Amino acid sequence: MKTAKLIIIGFGVIGKGFVRVLIMKHNEILKNHDIDLKVVAICEIDGSLVNEKGIDLESALKLAEKEELKKHNDWRSIKGLEVIEEIDADIVLELTPGNIKSGEPGLSHIICALKNGRHVVTSNKAPLALRFSQLHKLAEKRGVKLRYEASVGGAIPIINLYRNNMQINKIHSIYGILNGTSNFILTKMFEEDLALDIALKEAQEIGIAEKDPSYDINGIDTGVKLVILANSLMDKKISFRDVKITGIKEVTPESVELAKNHGFVIKLIGDVNKLEVSPRLVPLDHPLNVSGTLNAIMLDTDIAGSIILVGHGAGKIETASSLFSDVLDILRS
Amino acid sequence: MILQLKDVPGMLIRVLEPISSYGGNIISVTHSRGEKDSVSVHISFQIRDQSSLNLIKKALQKQKMHISEIRVEGKKYYTKKSLSFILVGHVIDTDIQDTIDRINTLGMVSDIDVVMPSPEQKSSVMMNVDIDERVNSDFVELVEKICREKKFLLIRSLD
Repeated sequence: MKTAKLIIIGFGVIGKGFVRVLIMKHNEILKNHDIDLKVVAICEIDGSLVNEKGIDLESALKLAEKEELKKHNDWRSIKGLEVIEEIDADIVLELTPGNIKSGEPGLSHIICALKNGRHVVTSNKAPLALRFSQLHKLAEKRGVKLRYEASVGGAIPIINLYRNNMQINKIHSIYGILNGTSNFILTKMFEEDLALDIALKEAQEIGIAEKDPSYDINGIDTGVKLVILANSLMDKKISFRDVKITGIKEVTPESVELAKNHGFVIKLIGDVNKLEVSPRLVPLDHPLNVSGTLNAIMLDTDIAGSIILVGHGAGKIETASSLFSDVLDILRS
Repeated sequence: MILQLKDVPGMLIRVLEPISSYGGNIISVTHSRGEKDSVSVHISFQIRDQSSLNLIKKALQKQKMHISEIRVEGKKYYTKKSLSFILVGHVIDTDIQDTIDRINTLGMVSDIDVVMPSPEQKSSVMMNVDIDERVNSDFVELVEKICREKKFLLIRSLD
């Protein structure tokens, strides 16, 4: 049996989701993969839980839900970067939200982890969109792995599918719906003839859109994911600033109605070939016409032809599916 | 049909064979030597319908023959492609006739549908345009330029 020590940086929705799934699946992973996963640190903005023998995850989760993580017996006032340097671990899970201008704090966490010889699994898009080549070179130099399946499409296994099962294919194009919030809004506008601001308000009320929804509705989130797909699957060597972005803010109920009358639906599409994010007319019977918060990605390849993946682009535990895919892949290799 | 062929033995027969096998009745063949090893060949033939012409075109392209021009009854022939898009903005007030005229320089607007909630609000205009598929990227650039100038949101169809 192999024991693998994990450091989790960021204990928000995704971090808690990962821990919840680990509690649920720990014995199964032990039985099926012969790997004992131990979380030795959980880092938040103002401090960390640290226990080199393994943190009691049930109590950490309970306290975090009540925003009382500091009451945990393993609470120490050291921060993420110190933990990465000082605590022995195999994999660092960088799960903080990213700032697209600076990539921080995730960028520093990832660099620090790689420099210290730790594998990195991340859901954080911003550092990847800003410094993809640099981070990969660093990982290669240190002989460790940098994996990021959860950064694009949530639970959809797009990157690992290509990496593990479609190696001989050359990809001609990738395009799709990469943001669940904007898809939810456009679906509401289409199905209930709502104006964008009403649909957005509804999305905010049920927790699908954030208080500041600009990343989603201005197409920035889709643009960032597009950069990751372009670099990881098509070796385009591009940065976020190379992408032309138009969001859905200007989409009117009249344009949605007009599209409907002519057999189309309006969707926010990330188009890797054109390096463009924009609202597009999608035929009603097209496989990319998925509703609600679903994501859909279409790959056109030379050998396999067209592949369409549809699934949850976000979610408390759905994203954990992709994180575990990376963690187990690293530990098995 | 005008083709640019390599000046090597057997090229002409490779061009004439698909024309003949798809029902083309060859009327005349003229050629003139160009620069280096290329020959410009003009072939006139009668053909019963457009789909037969397209089959000839595809067969020649498959053989990597370079077709520089096809004329049907004196007019330039092209493979038509229909594009649909929606313009959102003050489309009527910013001289819709000018917008259509400029689009028609590279294509032909075949259908327009307008929704105008009120004169102060933005209108939405759906256009279907027939273009020569070879000018696709130029056409998209032209429409994008018009949209930038007139501050329209462009919602294009998936290609």
